[in-house]
Order: sequence, then structure tokens, then C-alpha cells
Amino acid sequence: MWRRRVLSEVFTFMGSCRNKKSQFIGASSSVRACSCPALPVHRITALQAVNSWSQHFQEKGVSEPDLSSRYITAHVLGAKTIEGIKAETLSRLLSPEKTQQIWKLCAKRLTGMPLQYVIEEWDFRDLTLKMRPPVFIPRPETEELVEFVLSDLKEKTGSLSILEVGCGSGAISLSLLKSLPWLRALVFDQSEDAITLTKTMLQLYHLDILKEEEAILSLCNGVQALVSNPPYLYTEDMASLQPEVLRYEDPAALDGGTDGLVVIRQVLNLASKVLQNHGRVYLEVDPRHPPLIQQWAESHREEMHYVETKLDFNNRPRFCILQKAETNKDRKQDLD
Amino acid sequence: MSRLLVSVRAVYAALCPTTVRRRRGVTGCVYPGLLSSAGKKDLVASELPVLNEEELEEQFVRGHGPGGQATNKTSNCVVLKHVPTGIVVKCHQTRSVDLNRKRAREILREKLDVALKGELSEISVKKKESVQKKQDKRRKVNQSLEKKRLFKEALAAEPKPTNTDS
Repeated sequence: MWRRRVLSEVFTFMGSCRNKKSQFIGASSSVRACSCPALPVHRITALQAVNSWSQHFQEKGVSEPDLSSRYITAHVLGAKTIEGIKAETLSRLLSPEKTQQIWKLCAKRLTGMPLQYVIEEWDFRDLTLKMRPPVFIPRPETEELVEFVLSDLKEKTGSLSILEVGCGSGAISLSLLKSLPWLRALVFDQSEDAITLTKTMLQLYHLDILKEEEAILSLCNGVQALVSNPPYLYTEDMASLQPEVLRYEDPAALDGGTDGLVVIRQVLNLASKVLQNHGRVYLEVDPRHPPLIQQWAESHREEMHYVETKLDFNNRPRFCILQKAETNKDRKQDLD
Repeated sequence: MSRLLVSVRAVYAALCPTTVRRRRGVTGCVYPGLLSSAGKKDLVASELPVLNEEELEEQFVRGHGPGGQATNKTSNCVVLKHVPTGIVVKCHQTRSVDLNRKRAREILREKLDVALKGELSEISVKKKESVQKKQDKRRKVNQSLEKKRLFKEALAAEPKPTNTDS
């Protein structure tokens, strides 16, 4: 059972509270309304709105002030980035409705809410995904995890099935499915919010790998790949996280226990049971983990051979790939 | 040319540490999809120079902190440098780092093409073709207008039928 930390001491600005399902509710904009700039009396251009809010975010200590105001303005104007909007449009006067929309979203950002939750969407590779607190926001590093899985799966023939542990917003599996539409993906998450959010062409199951392994095993037969970006942070590091991460994102999606490996060990246990021979498990991890995972696998899961560690785009060890050695009892794929 | 945003301003870049990453051990371009897909302006991708990842340096602005799950940042600008020629491409066109990296490579290929081939580069060729097309179109329109004018003049010059002729 995850420890549910009471983070009320962190909420210095707002009266957020946790309900029984441990949902984190972002503060409503009314809490901070008094510190928002008032709606402009005269009409302004998009560019003026961007500059004005950029400055205001900076004054109030909101992180990434320029990017925040640009993304929000672009979003209200129907584009993904400010670069996607013509210069003439940016210099044109905004309608009162659009101005109000920009002000409303910027007010939310002013409370420290992550930008992705403010605009309720974000991109992951070539997908646009819905974002809603407290479901974990996909990180850019994880885009590379998908590349590694894809490059291996593309070489395989026959029917393919994968398992994803901890889907969050569905980024990983949905990306894989977009490139390999014939892929069968079985996806799990301990959070009901995550499952509700990720609802398309996937078979989704509200199951916790730490508590309900038997249920998971009953659903899976031989898969070619298991992929996971499991909670991997060390518990002691949780307190020093960026405030907006701490306040808005599900701690169960982040906290990997004392050594950050609680869920990872369980994923590797599951991998050895559900993977076909030569099937691989792909993990995103903390930079300190790769040698620890290798050691642990060698002593506890000798059928899981450590293949390699990959670096992320900041040159940190970030991804671990292990392969199931050939054993006599291969779990045959369930060909429905 | 696509809109390259030089959005990573000097101030912003100075505030955030960047990491340089050189990708190793891959022959040819990491993204084979580029070879089969047309870039912007329908350039023939197969005519563009192939990138060698060994010759590229990438920079990402990810700010301070451990990265990964621990950090939530929206900065995803990619700066790609072709070391042998010194050509630098900055790409901030999308909200995905992965897409920006791919797009940066496409743009770099186009720039390299111009640098290496000059007048013979794909972009120059396309520009010339486009100018030529416009000239041809204008000429046709003028010809057509001329024909109409001559026809009208001929009509005006024709003797009108009168009642006394019958």
C-alpha cells in the first residue's frame, strides 16, 4: 500500500485538500483573483497579451514565464505554438472572448498549476493527449523510450502484443499503437483517474501491480515486450520536487519507495512471467538505478539478462533494457 | 524556408544550463523515415544530403534539476549543429522534443543542400521552377487576353446587317 503523504504543509497559497481517492485538486482561480491583472479596458493584440502576461508571470515567480504566456495565447488562438501563428494574426486585435479566455487560463497558471493542466492537453511525439490532474504528465525523456521499443518491435514478424505498467495518460502505448496499429496493448495503472483518461483502443485495467499481480497474470499470456515508466523517485527526494509537481501530480506516479525500486522490482518479476522467450522489458529509471537493477536481476531474476543502459538527451543513464532468456517453459501467446 | 524560431533567447539560454549531446555509434541518419518522406516545399528528400549523426551536436534546454519524472518543464527547443560546416539549426516548432529533433534534422539537410550545391541545390531549383511557372502562366493569360481583344476588334469592324440588304 502506498503511503499517502499529507502534503497540506506545502499548500501555502490555496486551500486544496485530498479526498479519499487521494485526488489532488488544483486551486480554483478565485483564490488568486486579487493578484491577477484586470482585463484590459481597450482591446489589445495577441502579442501585447503575451508580453503583458510574460512580465506578470516573471514578477510573481511563475516558472518559464515566457513559454507559459506563449503557449496559453497560442492555445486560445487555436495553434500549438506561437510559431504556428502568422505575424499578422499576432498583431491583430483580440476579440473580447479570446481576451477573456487568455486571462482565465493565465490566472490558473498564476496559481502554479502546470501548463499542461492549464490548457488540458500536451504533445507526446506526434500525438496530442488530454491532460488532467492528478494524472502524470508525460516527460520528453520518455519519447525516447518509445523509440527504443519501436525499433525492436519493427523487426518482429507475426502478431505482436505488449504490456504497459503504469500508463498514466497513455502516452507510451498510444504512441506505439499509432506506429504499429496492429499491436495489441494491455495497459495497467493503479490510478482510476489514469484509466479513465486513457480510454481509446486499448484494453485498460484498473490494477495495481504491487497488490494484484495474480489478476494481471490471469489477463496476460506471452507478450513480446513489457514497457514501463514506473514511479522511480526516491522517497527522500519527493519533498524537494518542483512545487507544481508536488502539488498537482499524483505522488503514487512518482514515489518509488526508499530506493526508488519498489515498483521496478515488481515489474521485473512480472516480466519474467509474462514475456515470451527473448521478449524484452524497457524501463525508464532514475540515473542511479541501472547498476542496481543489473545486480538485482543477476541475483534474483537470472532469466532476465541485462542488455543495455541507454542515456537520455541530457546524457544521464535513463533507460534499462533487459531480455528474457530462453527457458523451457515459454508462455505461449494466447491467440484469440 | 520553414519558420525557425530563434526562441531560445540569449537571456533564457544563459539562465538555464544546456547539455551537449553527441550521438554515437549509428551509421547514417538515425531517422530513416526522413529519406522516404518529402520535406517542406515538396523537396525530393532522397536528393538531400544524408546526415551522419557522428558529425552532429545537439543541445537541449531542460533547466536545472534532475530531469525525468522529477521535473516538469515545457521548454523543448532543440539546437542542432553540423560540426564540419558549422551550420546551426534551432527548432522550436512543436511541443514535442522528439518532433523538434526530427524537424531540426530535416531543416539541416535542406541547409546543407544549399551550402553544398549552391545554385544546384533543391531549394534553388524549386525556386527557379516556381518563378518559371509564374512567368509561363502570365504569358498564357496575356496571350488569351490578346486573342479576346483581337476578336472584339474583328467583330466591331464587320459590316452590320441592315433591312435594305434583303
